[in-house]
Amino acid sequence: MENQNRGGVPVVRLSGRIDSGNAAETEQAVFARLAGTGATGADLDACDLDYISSAGLRMILRLKKNYPDLRILNVKPEVYEVFDMTGFAEMMPVEKAYRVVSVEGCEVIGEGFNGKVYRIDSDNVVKVYKNSNALPEIQHEREVARLALVLGVPTAISYDVVRVGDSYGSVFELLNSRSFAKLLANEPDRYGFCVDEYVKMLKKIHSIRVPEGRLPSKKEKMLKIVDSVKDLIPGGLGDKLAEMTSRIPDSDRMIHGDFHTKNIVLAGDEVLTIDMDTLSVGHPILELVHMYNAYIGYYENDRDAVLAFQGYGPDIADRFWHDSLAAYLGTSDEARMREIEDKVRCLSYAYLIDWGRRHFPDDAKSAQTIGVWMSGLVEVLGRVDSLDFDTEPDTAPDPNEAEFDAVAENLDAVTEFVNSRLSAAGCPARSVMQIDIAVEEVFVNIARYAYPQGRGTALVRVEIDGEPPLARITFRDRGTPYNPLEREDPDVTLSAEDREIGGLGIFMTKKISDNVSYEYRNGQNVLTLEKLL
Amino acid sequence: MLKIDRKVENGTAVIAPEGRLDTVTAPEMEAAVRDILPEITELILDFGKLEYISSAGLRVLLSSQKAMNGRGTMKVRNVNETIGEVFEITGFSDILNIE
Repeated sequence: MENQNRGGVPVVRLSGRIDSGNAAETEQAVFARLAGTGATGADLDACDLDYISSAGLRMILRLKKNYPDLRILNVKPEVYEVFDMTGFAEMMPVEKAYRVVSVEGCEVIGEGFNGKVYRIDSDNVVKVYKNSNALPEIQHEREVARLALVLGVPTAISYDVVRVGDSYGSVFELLNSRSFAKLLANEPDRYGFCVDEYVKMLKKIHSIRVPEGRLPSKKEKMLKIVDSVKDLIPGGLGDKLAEMTSRIPDSDRMIHGDFHTKNIVLAGDEVLTIDMDTLSVGHPILELVHMYNAYIGYYENDRDAVLAFQGYGPDIADRFWHDSLAAYLGTSDEARMREIEDKVRCLSYAYLIDWGRRHFPDDAKSAQTIGVWMSGLVEVLGRVDSLDFDTEPDTAPDPNEAEFDAVAENLDAVTEFVNSRLSAAGCPARSVMQIDIAVEEVFVNIARYAYPQGRGTALVRVEIDGEPPLARITFRDRGTPYNPLEREDPDVTLSAEDREIGGLGIFMTKKISDNVSYEYRNGQNVLTLEKLL
Repeated sequence: MLKIDRKVENGTAVIAPEGRLDTVTAPEMEAAVRDILPEITELILDFGKLEYISSAGLRVLLSSQKAMNGRGTMKVRNVNETIGEVFEITGFSDILNIE
């Protein structure tokens, strides 16, 4: 037994085995150590304790009676189990010893503002915090992750805190996971899938109302940032920025705060978001700010630098930002997107200038980078008058549109949907059947080929207008880019023996429709059928 | 939805599908033909109650025709106008013996 004091609290170190053979002796020694200290508690350091029997536990109970603030620290996992099973862990603070984990040679699978995520084995990852005294941060992140999970955000919860070198890490179970950054860099076929799932997750997060006081306000944080840079902005534009920021509507909606492709992972066939420490509440523009920075803002003075962070180049980063913004806003109107992007850039640059001033070395390159951000800021501030935008465009479902899981078994549901729109417009039965054939061929094609690696959806839209009426049916999917219309038509003059059936479906679709067109746009395969009724 | 009525007599089978012959139902039709194939030399497909056919249905017709080519005859009867049109477009009207 070794003794010392830690912050005025006497520390008693327990070691080896405590059982009926030595419990009485140990107890005497501990009481002797604590007698006369005047302390109301003590820390029992159990780092070398290998075993404790019920005789040892009774000793602890008597200690607790005399020293109510008793704590047991650095408990080995197998000994912790005894404290846990017997309910001691609920009667008094019992803290497990931190397991020591090495990340040497481990793959980095994610990276956030305050740490890096390494895969330590096939089932587990560890997030290592940059700050060496990260326990409060870890505690915070575990709490917000738990809150997010309870409120409906698919995320991973840390189950253990470990030591990694001089830092702390938290361990998560994350099977077979790959970040979206890796998917985008290595599997171009899954680009559309990534956009789709990324935006779905983003919308999910933004749909959640957070009970008051549970998460910090992003707007308050942004106001402070704007306040610290506004005097640097020439031409009185700083005051304009501060005023516009203060006019951003308050919101109780959840925002992630660092939502980029390294923080969203595919684990098996489940999409999860990780790195929850920046979780807060606020207007979605405060989310878009950090998204813009992660793909474009940080690297505006050196576009290729995005490669080092995300693992893919500026072309993919630009396209991913553009396409996910389009999908998030539910628009393909470039003017509207530029308008929103300008609003976002106002705050992005303010954030970056503040960040650069605090983190950059004092040199010419830093000054140049900050200069690029500043001129960007001045430019957008000249034409932006409000940072607000409509966040919930049309919540009423559009009766002309429906989304289906892309599986052949859904054919009846798709046909039923299309036919209900056609008969509402008074389409004759013969045309209905012909359109059904084309719809079947296109939908089954998507179900079979669009998503070779997993599940996905197909969005079907039916529009009927004009005189004579024209039915236009559009199919959208985010699967592998593929133009079925490029397929060669089959030779329909061959005999039965020589005929092959492949390609017949698309051939019929072309023959039956008045017009069929295909394009790949915003990460989506878009196939449009038109038929005069 | 597809209902399949079948009769086999003296080596002649009459198969009468009712409803829609599409991607979902084509495997049932294919199985119905395959099951009676060893017993027959004549296959009659009665399409009087068939409302709809897609390429998946044509695939079954083609494989049935190929199978019967080696062992007897196959006829398709009571084809409605819209299905007849599908046969025209795809050249199946030249392959099949349509009554």
